[in-house]
Amino acid sequence: MIGLTATLLIALGASDETRGLARVDFNRDVRPILSDACFACHGPDERTRKAGLRLDTREGAFAALKSGGQAIVPGDPEESELVFRVESDDPTIVMPPPDSHKTLTEAQRQTLRRWIEQGAEWASHWAFEAPRRPAVPAAVSNPGWVRTPIDAFILARLDREGLKPNPDADKETLIRRVTLDLTGLPPTLAEVDAFLADDSPEAYERVVDRLLRSVHYGEHMGRIWLDAARYGDTHGLHLDNYREMWPYRDWVVRAFNANLPFDRFTIEQLAGDMLPDATLDQRIASGFNRAHVTTNEGGSIEEEVYVRNVDDRVDTTGTVFLGMTIGCAKCHDHKYDPIRMKDYYQLFAIFNSCDESPMDGNAAKYPPIVQVPSPEQAAKRAELVAARTAAQERLALAVGAIPYDGSIDASRTEYVQREDYVWVDDELPPGAQPQGGQPWQTAAGPDHPVLSGSHAYRNRYEGLGQQVFERGRPLTIGEGDVLFAYVFLDPVDPPKEIMLQWNSGEWKHRAYWGDNLIAFGADGGPERKPMGPLPRTGQWVRLEVEAADVGLKPGTKVTGLAITQHGGTAYWDKIGLWTWTPQEGQFYDTLSDWIRSRKALKLAGLPEEIKEAIERPRSERTAEQLSRLTRYFVEHGYAAAQPALQPLKAEVARWEAEFRALDESIPTTLVSQERAEPRPAYILERGEYDKPGEKVERGTPAFLPPMPAGEPVNRLTFARWLVSAEHPLTARVAVNRLWQQFYGVGLVKTAEDFGSQGEPPVNQELLDWLAVEFRETGWDVKRMVKLMVTSSAYRQSAQADAEKLQRDPENRLLARGPRFRLDAETLRDQALFVSGLLVDRLGGPGVKPPQPEGLWEAVGFVGSNTAVFTPDTTPEKVHRRSLYIFWKRTSPPPQMATFDAPSREACVVRRERTNTPLQALLLMNETQYVEAARALAERGLREGGSTDSDRLVYLFRLTTGRRPDADELAELSAALDALRLRFRDRSEAARSLITVGASQPTVEADPAELAAWTMIGNTLLNLDEVISRG
Amino acid sequence: MDPVRERIELMTRRHFFGRAGGLSIGTAALASLLAERPARAEGGLPGLPHFAPRAKRAIYLHMNGGPAQMDLLDYKPKMADWFDKDLPDSVRMGQRLTTMTSGQARFPIAPSKFSFKQHGQSGMWVSELLPWTAKIVDEIALIKTVWTEAINHDPAVTYICTGHQLPGRPSLGAWLSYGLGSMNQDLPAFVVMVPSWSSKANAQALYNRLWGAGFLPSKYQGVAFRSKGDPVLYLSDPPGVDRATRRTMLDTLAKLNQKEFDELADPETQARIAQYEMAFRMQASIPELTDLSNEPQHVLDLYGEDVKKPGTFAYCALMARRLAERDVRFVQIFHRGWDQHGDLVNELPRQTKDVDQACYGLITDLKQRGLLDDTLVIWGGEFGRTIYCQGGLTKDNYGRDHHPKCFPAWLCGGGIKPGVVYGETDEFSYNIVENPVHIHDLNATILHCLGIDHRRLSVKFQGLDVRLTGVLDQNPVHAILA
Repeated sequence: MIGLTATLLIALGASDETRGLARVDFNRDVRPILSDACFACHGPDERTRKAGLRLDTREGAFAALKSGGQAIVPGDPEESELVFRVESDDPTIVMPPPDSHKTLTEAQRQTLRRWIEQGAEWASHWAFEAPRRPAVPAAVSNPGWVRTPIDAFILARLDREGLKPNPDADKETLIRRVTLDLTGLPPTLAEVDAFLADDSPEAYERVVDRLLRSVHYGEHMGRIWLDAARYGDTHGLHLDNYREMWPYRDWVVRAFNANLPFDRFTIEQLAGDMLPDATLDQRIASGFNRAHVTTNEGGSIEEEVYVRNVDDRVDTTGTVFLGMTIGCAKCHDHKYDPIRMKDYYQLFAIFNSCDESPMDGNAAKYPPIVQVPSPEQAAKRAELVAARTAAQERLALAVGAIPYDGSIDASRTEYVQREDYVWVDDELPPGAQPQGGQPWQTAAGPDHPVLSGSHAYRNRYEGLGQQVFERGRPLTIGEGDVLFAYVFLDPVDPPKEIMLQWNSGEWKHRAYWGDNLIAFGADGGPERKPMGPLPRTGQWVRLEVEAADVGLKPGTKVTGLAITQHGGTAYWDKIGLWTWTPQEGQFYDTLSDWIRSRKALKLAGLPEEIKEAIERPRSERTAEQLSRLTRYFVEHGYAAAQPALQPLKAEVARWEAEFRALDESIPTTLVSQERAEPRPAYILERGEYDKPGEKVERGTPAFLPPMPAGEPVNRLTFARWLVSAEHPLTARVAVNRLWQQFYGVGLVKTAEDFGSQGEPPVNQELLDWLAVEFRETGWDVKRMVKLMVTSSAYRQSAQADAEKLQRDPENRLLARGPRFRLDAETLRDQALFVSGLLVDRLGGPGVKPPQPEGLWEAVGFVGSNTAVFTPDTTPEKVHRRSLYIFWKRTSPPPQMATFDAPSREACVVRRERTNTPLQALLLMNETQYVEAARALAERGLREGGSTDSDRLVYLFRLTTGRRPDADELAELSAALDALRLRFRDRSEAARSLITVGASQPTVEADPAELAAWTMIGNTLLNLDEVISRG
Repeated sequence: MDPVRERIELMTRRHFFGRAGGLSIGTAALASLLAERPARAEGGLPGLPHFAPRAKRAIYLHMNGGPAQMDLLDYKPKMADWFDKDLPDSVRMGQRLTTMTSGQARFPIAPSKFSFKQHGQSGMWVSELLPWTAKIVDEIALIKTVWTEAINHDPAVTYICTGHQLPGRPSLGAWLSYGLGSMNQDLPAFVVMVPSWSSKANAQALYNRLWGAGFLPSKYQGVAFRSKGDPVLYLSDPPGVDRATRRTMLDTLAKLNQKEFDELADPETQARIAQYEMAFRMQASIPELTDLSNEPQHVLDLYGEDVKKPGTFAYCALMARRLAERDVRFVQIFHRGWDQHGDLVNELPRQTKDVDQACYGLITDLKQRGLLDDTLVIWGGEFGRTIYCQGGLTKDNYGRDHHPKCFPAWLCGGGIKPGVVYGETDEFSYNIVENPVHIHDLNATILHCLGIDHRRLSVKFQGLDVRLTGVLDQNPVHAILA
């Protein structure tokens, strides 16, 4: 237990040597105790404060107690009520009280006592004071070790602890470490060899510079940022449908590659949409505020969902930029940090006026969105717009050239009335498909009767016969309409019965004259309506049928017709509808006719000026109006003009269709967009959406510097305030996350919480120096990264010894190089890379490498468009980097989740690093790792030389970056021999192993041989050394 | 997880190994070390359990979607006289409604179509839809008065499973494996099963977060056993790789990793060697677990005819018993399809048919093996349903909307007083009139049976001491504790 306490103290920053001698530091040693054990009842939250005692402020802590006395009497522990209470054995007196389930350790009690003894010096919480650049320690034990100011701070601390740093790691280890850290991929052998061959002092720096220029740097840095931004490819709640947002992901990658300064990176994500003349990229960046999970669950209450959406934005902003757990103040004043409910809702007011519906509509394109065309798409779009415009101009010219003599209209009416619309005359309607594909039988004069046009349709049958067409341009039935057809019965050979049949999608509308011999449909009703005796023979007779009588309701589209008869000879001509309803494809001979039809449609779809002209009495139309009206009519309604205009119109339509198709294929991404009028914000009692209390204005918490006066108080000003020079948190929080990335653990371990419940920094001077350096050098991320990875601290060998492990198990003080397991994405990318499978194309929509069957189905909502997982199959997709894997947030990719990738449902700035048997199973057996093992084996056989030993060395180098020593080589050789034995005579087994995955072997090799090598590849990809970066 | 303690443990183990020099540590020594089964649970927090637990393990049968309590377990005879009459405002009291029914002009009462009878010594009222559950009423404690604040599925199910309506918190099972550790080194401590269901029209989504670890390390998350393919992800060796081949590979791997450890002394390396060995053991233990061929017919008969079909609720119930036998700490079965907004009269019986006999079978089987004494079984959904009808009401059919203000759960086994009914709802099954049990209280009760004081199981996250049971005072339901 003593050992345990000692190591804990190291972790918290106090050393054995200094214990009892050095001054107690309030922020480092005392505040954490008070915060954890006391603030819940004696902290910022007024409502739960007990005995009127407040220990989170200087005034409160030193005030006279209601009960008399004083909690803390500087210099006098015996007079201090606090000491009496925490040291008491009496359960009714002791603090913290038993029912709080908190207890102080002996060491903590001692610390409190000593602090008071030493004068109870008070300080504000360290993180709320703006960092000032501390002097770089000059007096260190080994100035030669100091390559960067970082090293001076690290070494000064190690000197105090009596620890010595390790020497540099060997070059192979170092280049693998820094390449993985900066790009998420291992180095190639050529890169390793070049570094080994470069003896100059700048060799390492050159490597770092090269890596910082690699596009893979942005992919790797961006991937880490996406955890914080809670980026996913689905909405995340309920249906969890696809949500198109990957252009934001690609923007993040571009931003890192372009080394966008962190202040701009911050401003553009929080408020890029509000920047003056915001660029497309800045608008895309503002998707950060929209990346939270959303829902469209039936039954949800919009106001509640709205509040949750805004809460997520505030919480995420708090965690990512302020390193504060602001969310606690949603329901009550913060228990530990000076954030009041009011502060929370003032921040809420900054983020509550994004202009979107709270419910996502289950839509991939959940507005507001922007289109993000690729350069090719943008070019193509411009091309199509130009082509469409040119075609429109040609059409306009042609229209202008067609004459129309308006004098005919003088005698024509403009009120809506019924008229004959002829559907079938010399031609069947466009699109009509006659039964059997044969044209209808016709007959022409003078040998046969013809009513209209050049011919009539002739039916002559022994018994039952008919002519039928389907799928003609539809006849739209209107209110009160009457169907008509003209018929001429041959007096010499009259039929016994004639019948008309109309098709409305089904053949159920018939009318007949004469004997009831044709037994189609139910007799007597609309399916076979008796119309009386046959009409008079030897002359044209107009037959009329009320549409309603044959079951054709208004709005019905009739697309087929049959003229049916029993025996005899009949001629048919001019078949149509007596109607006031304009018909599809109908054109007009006069302006007046056309105007009537437009009035029947209540002028729908017409431009305003045309509507106006039509509505005006004819006599009052100006010449200009008449001219416009006429042009419009000629283009859209004049029958005589159509043959000439048709090809030009078709051309416009074709360009329009192409434009639409392209436009719809252009990716979009969710963005922020501020409402014109801000929404009001209220303090919500207990955080509940339906309990609004006091109205609040936008603002920032009182313990932080104020927003600049004279600026509009909005999201943009807030974002600029975050990166202002006086801000105590933003720069510290940002450099701490970078530190965490390269050193495994942040200087403040709780990267998400710099408040009083978070861990105090293990080396505050270093943290402050880095924060000021970062800010003062223009928030230059690449510069800061380079500084961190070129330090001696970073370059050390990771070798531990018993003392270092015992004294500093988590390696917080960095007396050895940082060593940790690779992240899920890096593991997979590394396997694809070393095996040569990786397709390293940048950007684009998410891809779906294979995953075990049924994972989405097991949880998916029936009807969600991500309920069924369909893997991609081509190497171009499945071998992309893990950054591009499609992320379904209610069922994240198992290859990632098994290795601690968060679900992306909520903001995460610090991943766990666990070590589980499920991870072992995955790395040994997952399809793509097995495929990578085989491809790796193939590389060995193809490129690795001709002997086993050469090939083993080659594969070992590819995966670890170094040469195996003799023992390792012997071990692998023995394994290879054993594996060959296992696969000998089992060629089927061998074949099935080497054909796993989306690619197939290309090396000409005996399957058993390749299988044995595949298992060697599998072994190497599972080595602790390969899984870790050391 | 206490990283310091974990590392020191590893260090100790390393010294035990000795640094006898690189590759000379053979697999035999390694295997024998790893074969040692610790007497106490592996992992878990010091000081836990807080007191002697009545249950060592638990099985949670989650009926997802909101089972209609008045058609199953909350008998409301007076409603027969209220057919098509409006729910009085004095009962609804302005209770917020989902937007699925908030637009309805009327809230006409739909009495249950199903008949109820009293059963057993306890005289518990049970619907005709649960004839098998009726046979075990004297084993269970029925709470009729569980309640929640959430009225929609996603927040409600996230709430009952993780104690919070929004994603990001550890699930009940994750808390248990974090707090109590694992009792079986060859199987995960927390296993989840998601069986098929019959009311296809009414399935809500599930989310991995319901068995996730939230902000706890991912090793505490539930391992979802699958009915198709490998029960555990990536369990099977690739095609063509037999056990001996895998052993050869693992022996080589262990030797090379050991050498790595000898050079760098990173305790994680040592842990990794152990995890690979456990993975190898799981590859044997899990197929053995899922092989039902030696289950005698009379046992299979207890669960009903579905039991032989992998992926059914009955199959999962039997699997739950086999997992309990092997000391898996927590098993959770998520049965979907209980969201009867319409056509309840036809759809609900399909659901009860899926689960009813299997629940009986599970309890009976656990009992006959003596496992029920220290296994806690929980049955319940994420909320209840309204007495008033959603959509068209006829004499023969009706639908019901979500109702958060009362719904039933039953508990059984270790720590639970059998044959008890706790809490009472009004005659509309709308409000609680006696003994409300918030879902946090229910979770506190579960933790209590497992020897955990829910107030003392907390983790500092984002500056808060986060608990499964929230920040307010919650209490186990002592009246149902044995």
